[in-house]
Amino acid sequence: MTHLVRIEDLVVDYASGDGSVRALDGAELAIGAGETVGIVGESGSGKSTLGAAVGGLLPGAATVARGSVVVADHEVNTLRPNELRALRRERLGYIFQEPIGSLDPTMRIGKQVALALPGSGRRADVLTHLERVRLADPARVAKAYPHQLSGGMAQRVAIAMAMAREPEILIADEPTAALDSQIRAEVLDVIFTLAAEIGTTILWLSHDLPAVAKRCRRVVVMYGGRVVESGSAHAVLDMPWHPYTSALVRAVPGAVAEGERLVSIKGQPPVLTGAAEGCAFAPRCPDALSTCSVDRPPVVSVHERDVLCHLAGQQVGVSR
Amino acid sequence: MRLFSWWLRRALSAVVTLFLVSILIFTASRLMPGGFAEVVLGPLASPEQKAEVTAKYGLDESILVQYARWLGTALSGDFGISMISGEPVTTEFGLRLPVTAQLALFGIGGAILIGVPLGVATAVRAGRRRGGAAVGRLLSGLGVSVPEFVLGSVVVFLFSRFALGLTVGGYVPFGADPAGNLQSMLLPAAVLSVFVIAVTARTTRDAVLTVLVEPYITASIARGDRPAFIVCRHVLRNASIPIITVLSTVSAYLLGGAVIIEYLFNLPGMGTYLVQAVGRRDYAVVQAGVLLAAVVFIVLNMVTDAVAGVLDPRFGAAAKGRKQ
Amino acid sequence: MTWWRKADWLTRSGLLCLVLLALGTLAGTVLGIGGDPDEMVGPRLAPPNGEYLLGTDELGRSMLPRLFEGIGTTLVLSALAVLVTAVLATLLGIAAGYRGGWLGEIVLRLVEVLHSFPVIVLAILVAAVLGPGQTATICSIILITIPLMTRVVRAAAVSVSERDYVTSAVISGARWPRILSRHLLPNLSGTIAVQGTYALSVGILVEGGLSFLGFGVQPPQSSLGALIQQGSIYLLAAPWLVIGPGIVLVLAILAINVFGDGLRDSLEPREARSLV
Repeated sequence: MTHLVRIEDLVVDYASGDGSVRALDGAELAIGAGETVGIVGESGSGKSTLGAAVGGLLPGAATVARGSVVVADHEVNTLRPNELRALRRERLGYIFQEPIGSLDPTMRIGKQVALALPGSGRRADVLTHLERVRLADPARVAKAYPHQLSGGMAQRVAIAMAMAREPEILIADEPTAALDSQIRAEVLDVIFTLAAEIGTTILWLSHDLPAVAKRCRRVVVMYGGRVVESGSAHAVLDMPWHPYTSALVRAVPGAVAEGERLVSIKGQPPVLTGAAEGCAFAPRCPDALSTCSVDRPPVVSVHERDVLCHLAGQQVGVSR
Repeated sequence: MRLFSWWLRRALSAVVTLFLVSILIFTASRLMPGGFAEVVLGPLASPEQKAEVTAKYGLDESILVQYARWLGTALSGDFGISMISGEPVTTEFGLRLPVTAQLALFGIGGAILIGVPLGVATAVRAGRRRGGAAVGRLLSGLGVSVPEFVLGSVVVFLFSRFALGLTVGGYVPFGADPAGNLQSMLLPAAVLSVFVIAVTARTTRDAVLTVLVEPYITASIARGDRPAFIVCRHVLRNASIPIITVLSTVSAYLLGGAVIIEYLFNLPGMGTYLVQAVGRRDYAVVQAGVLLAAVVFIVLNMVTDAVAGVLDPRFGAAAKGRKQ
Repeated sequence: MTWWRKADWLTRSGLLCLVLLALGTLAGTVLGIGGDPDEMVGPRLAPPNGEYLLGTDELGRSMLPRLFEGIGTTLVLSALAVLVTAVLATLLGIAAGYRGGWLGEIVLRLVEVLHSFPVIVLAILVAAVLGPGQTATICSIILITIPLMTRVVRAAAVSVSERDYVTSAVISGARWPRILSRHLLPNLSGTIAVQGTYALSVGILVEGGLSFLGFGVQPPQSSLGALIQQGSIYLLAAPWLVIGPGIVLVLAILAINVFGDGLRDSLEPREARSLV
């Protein structure tokens, strides 16, 4: 099957002060049409960079050192600016973390939504799109300015704008991180229902493993700029293969059986300045072998599951 | 309603400032050394003659009385009589304001038509090429670092020495000879514009750079919008407050008399007149001239706030929050 | 000096240029390079030549030592004035931004009144009251730069005083001298340095403009502005009288501005964003 998004050996560096920081260190990911994928990782794991790379949205300080990003058979890194804009306009939708900040503070909501619609958006269309994200009073919201909205309302507006052209892929970068916990579920409901109606593939970037596992069919775990584990949500959550993933699972309240202790992951996530020598998690890994800090682990693929770990062979053996 | 009361407070505050400014100006002009009578009559005048002149212009009364009378008449639009020419100050200003206004118009035009686009263009380009930032900084720095009297002197020298076709110095009224007027104003306006354009471009560039990293710009890029569209629809309006603020500062500066340019090119505008008035201790003219400059500035400031409130819906709310 | 390593070539050149200018002037003045600035040594209005490197003026004085004296006067006057401004503006800015209340209102009002005058008009007014000369120049620079600097320091003081560590210091009962020295001043020092740098360039500009109009430094004392003013009388016959001081003046202001821009960018790094 051909993939809607195919990222291969992607290496991205950020210029910072004197040197550079490596955000992605050979990331690999393939997403098929209609999937719901949750990418989980700490801040600094490279998930936001990966999300931005899909739409060619890397900031000016970033350079793609190596690798390819193919979206619907287009190599994003070599597209001309107008082709890239067409790709974003016709196939991609983005939602960001800061809902009010993502809206132009000097423009009424109705006008902004109209500008995001194909052609010249009419008022009726604007209201329809605002209704689709279950805003209670679309007419009033359309007349408001962003600073007059709550975070949840603003994020619904941002969703309406991102979904206005019925994109093939929606990339949601921590869409609920800035919202109150009570309304997170509502906003996620809106995203997932609307995407299902339109048939949009979802790429949800989050640091919340259980939340992601609850709504996404597939979970992708990132660490140190690489995808260290990927597979179906319940499989990854029930039986993590990568030591980092299992540490994540054990650190989550409610994800472990009653009576078991929550375990925090010792040490700090890495800040890479170049390619990691071995496995980026090796220094924090309780089961690290001597090869782990020397050789980069290869991808082990079994049953639609990919894992990036020297121990994986043994683990796979055990789990069978 | 709250917005209205904010504007009321804003206007009241301006009036208080203006009142303080007028006290400052009046006090300053009375502190100037050397009696007026001596300046008019010369050092050889007899005490009787001096007393007569002093009494004639009301300079023998208490300073409070003098201030009150000056303020009272000023409020009715009468700024007194130039002690040198004997003409009303308003008449004297009327002769000179057109020169300054015309010069200011050229400067403001340059700032809006060249300075703003230049600032936007350099800011948008800054993200495209790395390393070009320092060159841009050097050029914009150069624009605000060349004082008018240095650039003016260079221009005067070049055009006088090599007869480059434009007259240097002197003024031709527009009514008498429009072509000659434009010719005589072109050089001073050009010299004046360099600084004004550079200041505007720098501020615009800063404002646009600040807006370009905002999340809503990223969101617009992510929607596949064209750069021109993003600049016109989102960037300009959000960057507009610093830009109109600098435009109003520049306008006030120009209308307050581009003193040095007028002096250098020997133009009979407000600036030259003010310099002469200080030299001759023509109190009424100094008071009225400086007051006029301050009034222009304060009024422009209020207009700027009003425009800012219209352009950015957050501004009124933010200003209210700040004042309370 | 981590700062120096982080600065780009332009910022470094600006600082270097300024230091060289100051040191060169100091050396030139102390060593008496080019002779006595007030002595009428040569022919009148002689163009630059081997004996008089920058030519001579209308009285036959050598321009090189006069230029040294001029730079020295301009830099010393501006620096003195800016020093006073920096101290006053810091105090006023903190009073208005941190203390607020009626004191803040008074400071803001004062700043607004001073700010209502166009720069050169205010300078002329000061010169008219105090009489033309160095005192008037210094006072003009102070009165012109105070509102500019106080506004920025105040805004910075407001934002610093809203930070958590200041709040917690206040709650834990720290007295204000401690808050001032431990929290406010260290966090405002960058802003003060940048604004002081800009104020210095404004100061040099004001000295030049005021002296050019004849209200600033008076002959026979020379300053960059006074040299240009005197030279402009003979502009066509002896352009070198204006060119030398003019170039130095532009160079000094440019160096300071470029340095100030670099300093500001290093304190508030800003990312350039491409719209493509």
